[in-house]
Amino acid sequence: MARMSEIDWEPCLLTQHRAPELEHRFARETGRSGEMMRFFADSPWAADALVRVSVQITTIVYTDPNLVDQAGLVVSQDNSCRFCFGVQRAFLRVLGMSEQRIAQLEQDLLTGDFSPRERAALEFARRLSQSKPAATLADLEPMINNGFSSEEIVEFAGLVGLHLFLNRISTFVALPPERFEQLPDSWWARLFRPLLAIRFRGMRHKAKPVQLLDVERSGPLSLFINALDGLPMARDLRIIVDRLWGASALPPRTVTILFAVIARALGSARCEAEAVKMLLETGLVQSDIEQILLHLSSPVLSDVERRLVPLARETVWYQPAVIQRRCAEVQRDLSAAEFLDFCGTAALLNMLCRLGVIVDYRR
Amino acid sequence: MSASVAGIAALVAAAFAASWWRARCEATRLRQRVAAAAGELENLQMAFSRFAPDAVIERIIAEGVADFGEKKEVTVLFADVAGFTALSESLDPNVLVGVLNGYFERMSRAIAEHRGYVSTFIGDGLLAFFGATDPNPWQGNDSIAAALAMRQALVDYNRTLAERGLPTLRIGIGLHRGTGVVGLVGSKELKEFAFVGRAVNIAARVQGLTRQYDVDIILTEKLRQTIDPGYTTSALPVTVVKGIEKPLEIHRLH
Repeated sequence: MARMSEIDWEPCLLTQHRAPELEHRFARETGRSGEMMRFFADSPWAADALVRVSVQITTIVYTDPNLVDQAGLVVSQDNSCRFCFGVQRAFLRVLGMSEQRIAQLEQDLLTGDFSPRERAALEFARRLSQSKPAATLADLEPMINNGFSSEEIVEFAGLVGLHLFLNRISTFVALPPERFEQLPDSWWARLFRPLLAIRFRGMRHKAKPVQLLDVERSGPLSLFINALDGLPMARDLRIIVDRLWGASALPPRTVTILFAVIARALGSARCEAEAVKMLLETGLVQSDIEQILLHLSSPVLSDVERRLVPLARETVWYQPAVIQRRCAEVQRDLSAAEFLDFCGTAALLNMLCRLGVIVDYRR
Repeated sequence: MSASVAGIAALVAAAFAASWWRARCEATRLRQRVAAAAGELENLQMAFSRFAPDAVIERIIAEGVADFGEKKEVTVLFADVAGFTALSESLDPNVLVGVLNGYFERMSRAIAEHRGYVSTFIGDGLLAFFGATDPNPWQGNDSIAAALAMRQALVDYNRTLAERGLPTLRIGIGLHRGTGVVGLVGSKELKEFAFVGRAVNIAARVQGLTRQYDVDIILTEKLRQTIDPGYTTSALPVTVVKGIEKPLEIHRLH
């Protein structure tokens, strides 16, 4: 595993626009500075999705929040997301985790000093993020054997999934990592660490189980969202997905094609079958769908789809600079909202396709 | 009396403090050794990552087993510099190595950017695989895109070489898709991540045909059937090659 400082990372692809309402909403709902939302102000859907995911990532019903934070660091590293790794590392340092412990999480997960319970959970988090091959029920056995309840397992997987979403979207747009990478060593962070720690702990929300309403149990990707039923994140994911198909800058057919391509790239037969079913309902014929999935091109694709389909396939990989360069090439031909919605869509689909193991587990 | 009790207490406290200090120093020393060992392990891991994909290294560390193999369908790319022997005789050895390293650097980048894995450099030859490390349903198209990127990268590199007054390079690339076994192959002292199967032999033979037909990229019919019809190819004569029973249907990539 490469050291994070050695990961190539392109300059940020986005420009910041002041968005007081959005920044205020983010700050109010997450307890964090809303400055980062300036990058996403051009896309109502992506901005809303980011706020919801950022709230849910610290909303915990069953799982130990410290374990979730450590898993966040591990999957950020596995995804080679320098931005999220910097954020997560700064968060853990301010909360009092030693540099030595962070180094163990970073470099030594296989042989480091972890309890069997921690190791089982962190290994599963990595399996979920790697997905080649996709995680199976066998990958959950160490967590089951180490006494995790079924609720804890499902919630842990869902929270890791939310980290994957943030990893992916931050990578696609190359959010600048330097500020967070330098934060733990800055004089003011060291001086005010106890106060910052109180503030950071206050960002975690202990929540109660929430069931999906009947009306929320259907719609695109319901198989995956229903598997998270009982967790507050399921309701927000339902809203994010419904708005993606109904009110994003990308047409529903384009979103569904991206779903099919990412499913194929991740080797998820279940997701691919679902996507193909949805594509047939949009009027595409089987032979066209097959050609799109076989060659990532087809005369039936629109101009925007022709650009996005090959890029969607790239989003499952872990070489940030390569993905960022490809994103930059495609960005030139899209509106700001289209580009941001593509990045959010690809991040969301990467996350949900990886949660297939939880669907099996719930059954 | 009380003075001697105080003295004894001070002695005990001093002894306790000394042993605590020794234990602390020992703990610090051990921590430093563990950190150094972890650093060395990571350096070793990084050095090893140049010879095998990360996933393979992690599997070896986790399972402690180096002898594993997996049957896979892989696309093989074999590239070679035409007329390299003559070039090597006309250039200063240091300049030659610089030219060759610049070439390998650019070709490797073109391959890696299209999801290929460079397995080995053999003299002036290069062997790369697509779909060997991770499942890749688009490995055929990736190999073609990589070959085209190599062609373009060579044009750019030749411009640089010409500006420096050095001879330019010509390459031949052979591509084929087939089934074989991937794994770490070699002796106890030297292992490499490799793909073992007839496909490697065929790709190498096809590469050899680039000189015969005076073209730079040739692919087999088996690979052509899997790639995007949007790529322009033209059929070359069916050719018999050494070591391969059936005559090969081959195509030039434009």
